Amino acid sequence: MASMCKAATRVLPGAAVIELSGEVDGAAADVLTNAYQTAVGTHADLGTVVLDFAAVDYINSTGIALIVSVLARARAERRKVVASGLSPHYREIFDITRLSDFIELFPDLDHAVSQLTGPAA
Amino acid sequence: MTQVARPAPRRLDAFELPSEPGNERLALARVAETVQGLGLSDSRLEKLKTAVAEATMNAIEHGNGNRAEIPVEVEVTQNGDEIVVAISDQGGEAPSAPKPAEEPDLLKKLDGGQSPRGWGLFLIRNMVDAMDITINGQRHTIWLTMRTGGAAHGEHV
Repeated sequence: MASMCKAATRVLPGAAVIELSGEVDGAAADVLTNAYQTAVGTHADLGTVVLDFAAVDYINSTGIALIVSVLARARAERRKVVASGLSPHYREIFDITRLSDFIELFPDLDHAVSQLTGPAA
Repeated sequence: MTQVARPAPRRLDAFELPSEPGNERLALARVAETVQGLGLSDSRLEKLKTAVAEATMNAIEHGNGNRAEIPVEVEVTQNGDEIVVAISDQGGEAPSAPKPAEEPDLLKKLDGGQSPRGWGLFLIRNMVDAMDITINGQRHTIWLTMRTGGAAHGEHV
């Protein structure tokens, strides 16, 4: 029933993508922190971090706090954070918490990536 | 004058969970199964599930202090067009959630003026039609009310 949070990272021109899966709750703290570090660690000039939630089935208040922490760190480093793949329910939670004022939301990862990196050649 | 009798509240389910982190997922799954077919839209069911999970998590962590031997009690009743989920712990007068001094403010959290945490009660309040808290001795109960067929705050139907 419970599925641990996992993260896969990849770096595109100008943006890093963190594809999350499972549950974003308190147990996801190390996964999310490490994924962010891996994503930006060797690319100090990276302008945008994409958090993809398409394979996430649960986010709780502690998970929201983790996302706030990632956003705070990114802002301090002058990076933009965008999100993709949120279900309508979690989009609403991003609205209620005002996370969507600071994190641009895309319906899916393809939309986010094409917007950020331009159409594929 | 004719009075229409309101049907008596009907208990749909009652169960206990050990106070162990993660058991809020069991609560939300069981409540979701119990209220299936009672007229909640998918989006309102998702809201109720989030509220139940957050309230149960608070009861486990803050009410019962993660002591597995002290159960969290969950009761689901239907009262007319209302579904009421009552979640009880043994935290008594102790607040069953850390009471933030102020409402969560994302900008303050981003600037370090507030802890990144403290979203639980805020989320619950915004998910359900009504939230009440009662304290009876050591028993601390949070009541979550959702009207069937209605709309929660700001929801367009």
